[in-house]
Amino acid sequence: MMTLSTQMLWLLAAAPGQVGSGRIVGGWGYVWACYAITVVMLVLYAVSLWVRRPKAPSDAKE
Amino acid sequence: MSTPRPRPIGLLTATLALLRKDLLIEWRTRARLNAIIFFALATLLMFSFALGPDTKLLEKNAGGYFWLAILFASVLALGESFRVESENACMDGIRLAPADARAIFLSKALGNTLLLTALGALLVPVMVALYGVQIVTGAVDLGLILVLGSLALSAPGTVYAAISSNARARDVLLPLLLFPLVIPALLSAAKATTLVLQGDPMNQFGSWVGLLGGFNLIYWGVGFLLFPRIIED
Amino acid sequence: MGKFIKWGLPALSLVVLAAGWWLGLAWAPPDREMGDVQRIMYVHVPLQWMAMVAMAINFVAAVTYLMKASWKLDAAAEASAEIGLVLGTAGMITGAIWGRPTWGVYWSWDPRLTSEAIMLVTYTGYLVLRRFVEDPDKRATWSAVVAIIGAINLPIVWFSVRWWRSLHQVQSTPKTVDPEMTLALRVSAFGMLFLTLWFLVQRYRQALAERQAEVALPDALPPDLAAAGGANSTRVA
Repeated sequence: MMTLSTQMLWLLAAAPGQVGSGRIVGGWGYVWACYAITVVMLVLYAVSLWVRRPKAPSDAKE
Repeated sequence: MSTPRPRPIGLLTATLALLRKDLLIEWRTRARLNAIIFFALATLLMFSFALGPDTKLLEKNAGGYFWLAILFASVLALGESFRVESENACMDGIRLAPADARAIFLSKALGNTLLLTALGALLVPVMVALYGVQIVTGAVDLGLILVLGSLALSAPGTVYAAISSNARARDVLLPLLLFPLVIPALLSAAKATTLVLQGDPMNQFGSWVGLLGGFNLIYWGVGFLLFPRIIED
Repeated sequence: MGKFIKWGLPALSLVVLAAGWWLGLAWAPPDREMGDVQRIMYVHVPLQWMAMVAMAINFVAAVTYLMKASWKLDAAAEASAEIGLVLGTAGMITGAIWGRPTWGVYWSWDPRLTSEAIMLVTYTGYLVLRRFVEDPDKRATWSAVVAIIGAINLPIVWFSVRWWRSLHQVQSTPKTVDPEMTLALRVSAFGMLFLTLWFLVQRYRQALAERQAEVALPDALPPDLAAAGGANSTRVA
């Protein structure tokens, strides 16, 4: 019968890379997805700012 | 000959006078009340079809469906509550009268509360019949939640109804503004109602009442303070 | 100063952000628990911080506007709400993606996530309201009221969701105090800050220009004076 502390020691001794022992292997796909989505959103917003920029009075052709 | 200066009408007097006016108009036409009752009943029915026919499930979630029906109906009720003023520029007339703008808020919000409470009371027997629930912890508890929940929907609802009645796409704007705001009230009322209907072994009812009460204090206070800014010119 | 804001600030922000992300992606070590997936922190956390900064600016601008009306405050409120919404949405999306490998779900109803989602809906409503009100004075006043009420709502939502959800997802935000991670995070945060500031200034100028076009008067006049001046423009002196 394992006490809680014994169980925890057992978990810590488990080799890294095992699913469930706390270490996630790989996952770079998620990382790139996050960075790419962020960059795209920020760029699109910057573009929207540029498109909506106020026209200077001298540009008015009347 | 000097005429005595007219004293400004007190807040309570003005509120009650305006409330009486609104209730009188409402009673004479009863159009709003009828429409709202029908809509809420239909909503409860629709939930049964969409989520049934597992009666166990319906029974368990009845509290939630009940408050969703009231919420959706409240959007109609709140939207209408300012429409009556927009005819004949009544709003300007009220504002020019020596009454506090805050009296307008109080009277409108109280009127909406009364309407929603009445609606809820009418829905309870329908809910009992349709979802097969029982009022386990007592009618007083249920009544308390009904009143507190109606108050909680009406305070911010009145503020946002005043805003959206003057904006474009008012029918879309009111729910969009109101729904995120009343989430705490909705989940408290639904949870508390579920406890009333299903039993409350761990005595959680009090904490939900407290949350609803706190919500009401905050939003009635905020509405009271900010409403004059909304209708001023 | 104008030149710096227009060109220097975006350049600076891109450089600092790139540096921070390089540090985070290539230099900092992987997390003991989460491995490389934890590197999402260097994009997700700065986004969330900046979204909160923007929302705070919006709240302050709204409160101040109700005390002393000015088009500058109204423009600042509009700019900060829009940028806060963009950053917050990116933050939510990256958070959801991060949640998938770490918690197993894209979404959980924990108080922080739920409050954030409600915040995004609130500010969407705010921007929709602004779009649908034509009178500039009313738009400024009403959106200020909505902003204040929306902001007050957030702690209330947080508390009520906490009571409502008895089970808590264990937060996976790394509690490691690995100095390399802290450095990468700080640099990334500064990069995001500079970028946010640049966005804010640009959007603020746009909003102010729009207000000025609407009322056709110099900025920073209180709206009631401005309106009175406009209406009386046919009068001499």
